[in-house]
Amino acid sequence: MNHLIKAEFRRLLATRMWRGLLLAAALLGGGMMSAMALVGPENFTPPMPGMDTETGVRSILGILGYTAFVPAAAGTLAVTSEYRHRTAAVTFLFAPRRWQVVAAKLATYGVAGLAYGLILAGTAAAALFTVAAARGDSLGLPPGTVLALLARIGLAMVVYLLLGVGVGALVRNQVVALCLVIGYLYMGEALLMMIPGVNVLYPVLPGGATAALTDFTYLADAMSQELGSTAVHLLPPAAGALLLTAYALAATLIAVVSSVRRDIT
Amino acid sequence: MSDDRLKIEVSHLTKRYGAVTAVRDLTFTVEPGVVTGFLGPNGAGKTTTMRMLTGLVSPTSGAATIGGRPYRRLPRPSRTVGAVLDANAFHPGHTARDHLRVYAAMGGYPDSRVAELLDLLGLAEAADRRTRGFSTGMRQRLNLATALLGDPRVLLLDEPSNGLDPEGMRWLRSFLRQLADEGRTVLISSHVLSEIQQLVDDVVVIRRGELIAAGPWSRLAGPPAVLVSSPDADQLAAALRVSRPDRDAPRVEPVEGGRLRVHGLDAPDVADLAAAHRLRVHELVTEAPGLEQLFLHLTTDKAAAP
Repeated sequence: MNHLIKAEFRRLLATRMWRGLLLAAALLGGGMMSAMALVGPENFTPPMPGMDTETGVRSILGILGYTAFVPAAAGTLAVTSEYRHRTAAVTFLFAPRRWQVVAAKLATYGVAGLAYGLILAGTAAAALFTVAAARGDSLGLPPGTVLALLARIGLAMVVYLLLGVGVGALVRNQVVALCLVIGYLYMGEALLMMIPGVNVLYPVLPGGATAALTDFTYLADAMSQELGSTAVHLLPPAAGALLLTAYALAATLIAVVSSVRRDIT
Repeated sequence: MSDDRLKIEVSHLTKRYGAVTAVRDLTFTVEPGVVTGFLGPNGAGKTTTMRMLTGLVSPTSGAATIGGRPYRRLPRPSRTVGAVLDANAFHPGHTARDHLRVYAAMGGYPDSRVAELLDLLGLAEAADRRTRGFSTGMRQRLNLATALLGDPRVLLLDEPSNGLDPEGMRWLRSFLRQLADEGRTVLISSHVLSEIQQLVDDVVVIRRGELIAAGPWSRLAGPPAVLVSSPDADQLAAALRVSRPDRDAPRVEPVEGGRLRVHGLDAPDVADLAAAHRLRVHELVTEAPGLEQLFLHLTTDKAAAP
């Protein structure tokens, strides 16, 4: 098993995608946060509460949470590239116990997700505090709370990356899997929120669970107001975290089970 | 030493994909110490069989074992079996060294083994180039290097000659010969029979997923024929046909250019007979039996049957 994890780390670190992923974490964390903080949520279209309010801070943190499709797509990309480049057969020749291969990938990408989440949350914190200090604003939440919320977002990134790995291992076709992951996480859930009746499901979907982590209801509230549908009540943060973990576990379980018997042609 | 000599045994192997039977009740043995050619036209089921041998594809019924064990039960499979089943199984962004290092880690082999194989397969200079720019020959060498990481006793190669230039083929032939001479079991599949006929000792021929012939190539191919060119071809043919009244008469068939192909006599026999009858001989060639002929013979005979 240690051999397999070592091999997966070598496989990941030898690609350019790895550096691209870390760069994306810094750009989304530091870059996007400083841009949003510099412009100020009150100047968004439509305008949102300012950074000096709790809702304002939660909102821009919540928007950061929406970038979770990026690590998810990276996980999917990494796993499906084994099928696309036909190395999966070679891998299973070296390690015929396929569940071990999938488990090693999950361990490796769990660490990669942690690195991604750390960089994302770290650069976001740096950007947020620096810009607020430069503008002489005070944030609507105490720094400790902001850091705790960012840490939750960072951990959510690990879960999303593993979700992406799970979907990739299940679907195997790179293009289809990527369309599925990005399409659902980036657009699908937002569209679901607009459908009356279906939007009550939102709190238990991955996006709703992530929003629960930071208690980010602004977007959902705005949408239900706009559409005149019932307001969405998010789960408590702890329940959201548990639910997200359950999603990741389900994805990995499906990934492990589905890989075991299928023919590699 | 006997422990190192591993047989491949395929017994009643069948694979169905829905209504299509890719491999049907296939039984054969591959011996160590020789190179065995696994032959058949495209779509005959060679690749499916090799993937069942290595546990990548699960058989519908029957079994395939290597040294008595199914592939998935081998304790450290890459130490026992090296397989090249795909000509192009690399991440294009990985270098040759990256690729080998991934699988060296997976098999538990040291990095020194990676360097050793890069040297052995003549890839040392290309080691740090990304595989997307590799030629077919380099890809084949990298495939072989990957398969050889664990210094396996059994080597399985699916269509290794595909896309190789004559120099690459020559190199592959001597390389595989050396491996077989070390007592390893070597099975190579091909649909381009002429390319591997100089290389194989034994053959297994399949068509439409069924076994057609198996055994030492020399026995299956039969004795060589003699090709003789003579301006007195008609008289020579008549003389040849009655030359051995006590035994099976030699078979003589005219071929284009006024030549004769003689089965059942060797070149000295034909020359002596021509001299005895004062018939002229312009050319006399011993024709090694070609796999191509054997293969066509075996497959068309079956195809003609209802």
